[in-house]
Amino acid sequence: MPAKPRDTHPTLLALTSSALLLPAYQGARADAPPDFTEIGVSYSKYEEDDTQAGKTFGGSSERYEIDVAQFHLLAPVGDDWSVALDVQWEDMSGASPWFVGLSADGDPNVLMSGASIEDTRTSVSVTTRYYYDRGNTGLNFSYSDEDDYTSNAIALDTAFNSADGMTTYSAAISASSDDINPTQGATPTNTLDDNKDIRSAWIGVSRIISKRAILRFGLSYTYRDGFLTDPYKFNDSRPDERKEWALGGGYRQFFVGGNAALHADYRYFNDDWGIASHTVDLAWYQNIGSSTQLEPYFRYYNQGQADFFSNLVDFSEPYFADDYRLSAFGAITTGLRLRQELGDWTVNLTGERYTTSNDWSTYSGDESPGLVKYWRYSIGVDYAFR
Amino acid sequence: MKALASLLVLACLAGCETAQVQPWERGTLARNEMQWQPDVMEAQIRDHIHYSKEASTGSAGAAGGGCGCN
Amino acid sequence: MQRIDHSFNAMGGPCRVRLVHADKSTANDAIRAAETEVRRLEQKYSRYLDDSVTSLINRAAGSGQACAIDSETAGLLGYADTLWQQSDGLFDLTAGILRRAWDFKNKLAPAADELAALLPLIGWDQVLWDEQSITLPRAGMELDFGGCVKEYACDSAAGQLRQHGIEHALVDLAGDMVALGDQGKGQPWSIGIRHPTDKTNAIARISLAAAALASSGDYERCLHIDGQRYGHILNPHTGWPTQGLVAVSVIAEQCLVAGSSATIAMLKPEQEALAWLAELGLPWLGIDAAGQCHGSIHQTG
Repeated sequence: MPAKPRDTHPTLLALTSSALLLPAYQGARADAPPDFTEIGVSYSKYEEDDTQAGKTFGGSSERYEIDVAQFHLLAPVGDDWSVALDVQWEDMSGASPWFVGLSADGDPNVLMSGASIEDTRTSVSVTTRYYYDRGNTGLNFSYSDEDDYTSNAIALDTAFNSADGMTTYSAAISASSDDINPTQGATPTNTLDDNKDIRSAWIGVSRIISKRAILRFGLSYTYRDGFLTDPYKFNDSRPDERKEWALGGGYRQFFVGGNAALHADYRYFNDDWGIASHTVDLAWYQNIGSSTQLEPYFRYYNQGQADFFSNLVDFSEPYFADDYRLSAFGAITTGLRLRQELGDWTVNLTGERYTTSNDWSTYSGDESPGLVKYWRYSIGVDYAFR
Repeated sequence: MKALASLLVLACLAGCETAQVQPWERGTLARNEMQWQPDVMEAQIRDHIHYSKEASTGSAGAAGGGCGCN
Repeated sequence: MQRIDHSFNAMGGPCRVRLVHADKSTANDAIRAAETEVRRLEQKYSRYLDDSVTSLINRAAGSGQACAIDSETAGLLGYADTLWQQSDGLFDLTAGILRRAWDFKNKLAPAADELAALLPLIGWDQVLWDEQSITLPRAGMELDFGGCVKEYACDSAAGQLRQHGIEHALVDLAGDMVALGDQGKGQPWSIGIRHPTDKTNAIARISLAAAALASSGDYERCLHIDGQRYGHILNPHTGWPTQGLVAVSVIAEQCLVAGSSATIAMLKPEQEALAWLAELGLPWLGIDAAGQCHGSIHQTG
């Protein structure tokens, strides 16, 4: 129970607690639909660095370039409902690592997929949310479509506040059914037509710890079942089941003097493929005046390799993969984001650099020659129908 | 699952047994920059890229559907 | 920074909203929402409007018909119930009918039989109510939310400002006030408390930040009968005004709590009121019949 000063007069305590049941004092609760409709559009350019010279078998060293357009709409419906629509279009071109082998001087080198891959992805996500006095519940459908991949997912989430509004308990479950139909081209693929199912559950609790700080913990479990092998990678054979656990914590604190907010998040991840990782996210939201915000952010990701990862795979094993994503590596992201409010309009500009190295991982394992580095730039505009 | 949930709650409550913050004192906590995800589209693109380039997901919600992203 | 000062009349008195905010259109929207909220509550609980909740409940008195109520009204009834218990029955939503007997305008005391006829119609403990409905069991009984709606409206109007992102504002509904934050830059809102007899002078100046102030007083409407001074706040047990303090101001986090604390103090005899206020622990200022100031709020005027 909340700590009240011990000397509070019983009459004052009775009056205050009785008054707080009135709707006028519930205003600061989060559980009401948004006051107004907001829409946003955003465009991002994602560019991977060429694979480092000396790590490829000649040929193309070019990697992915992706253009991403996003649309977001959130609107109140009546007094108790909201609806959100999120659409994302991606247009990707370039190449991805096909396989790793040994070079003449004995180093692992990567061979990129020869022909340039062209693909587009469209994903649409609709969420309806119902708000009640002490919580809200949302139902989400999402659909993602590519030339070679289709996914249908449904998710249900709920949040419930304690009577004093200090603690929020949350939970979510989701199910997805994905179809994989690799594009047949220059290189053979590991399947012609397959599918996988994803089931996931999450619980979280957040607590207000002061007028200016809030803390949360979350735990998720995800079960993937089906064709989990990368269809395009030459040396790739993965188990048809994967169980993942992730434990996360987050903290937000506002500094009145500095007019800024600190975001700190941590996640520990673990799965039955032997992969474990630690992720730390830090961000500083600095307000400059009343309508400008500058957000420098930093992320450190530290991953261990899968049990069956090897640069030079052993085909006699049941499972093997030389995919850089299953290798031991560390990744550092540094980014800067500018947010400018202009009346009912908000403009966002983001630039981010992502770099990777096997040296930055605290886990042991060989460095994959296919590790990715990229730049990402985004520009977005939001409008609020106030 | 239930045991884990109560464990989480306990960990949180033990870590932050605090004075009551009244509803009318939560103005700062309601600020945009104090939200878990201040910007939906930005969070979506970050999650999407990390999902395609790294082996870990989760902890801030249930997983959604996959994609064929290489 | 925009400084906006908006005045209007509602709840039987002058109302004023002052605020400091960066964006003018947000500030104007917020002020509009605050005024709308005050008018909404005025209409909902006014005794003078035929279609108000109060009138609907009062018309059904004695009919045996339960009157359906919404959650806000149930909340106010619950609060009034707490007040009734905590004040040993001095604060009573059904006591308003005593006004029928007392003529403060012509300064006349009622005849004894007139009061005797009204007293059986007073008594919160006779009222049947729950979360969904209320029944006034006797014809002639009446509810009067006047003792708490103005203070509640003040909190609710301030809540509207807060929902619009306003952090520095002062809502003043004829002397009941809520300060959201300070005036900016650490400067609190400065409020004058009126002298009981000298209307133009403040008896005290109070610095208010992120808190509410409510006052209850007998500035004009008092009676002198047989050389005794009586206030206009009527004791539901006797039907007579209390011979207590002349004016009380209380500071609390909610205007509603500040207002009802001041009202309860006004309903108690002078010495009892002073002791009760001191014990309650909220900052207070009381003025006795001799014009003497008491309390933990230091007068600076």
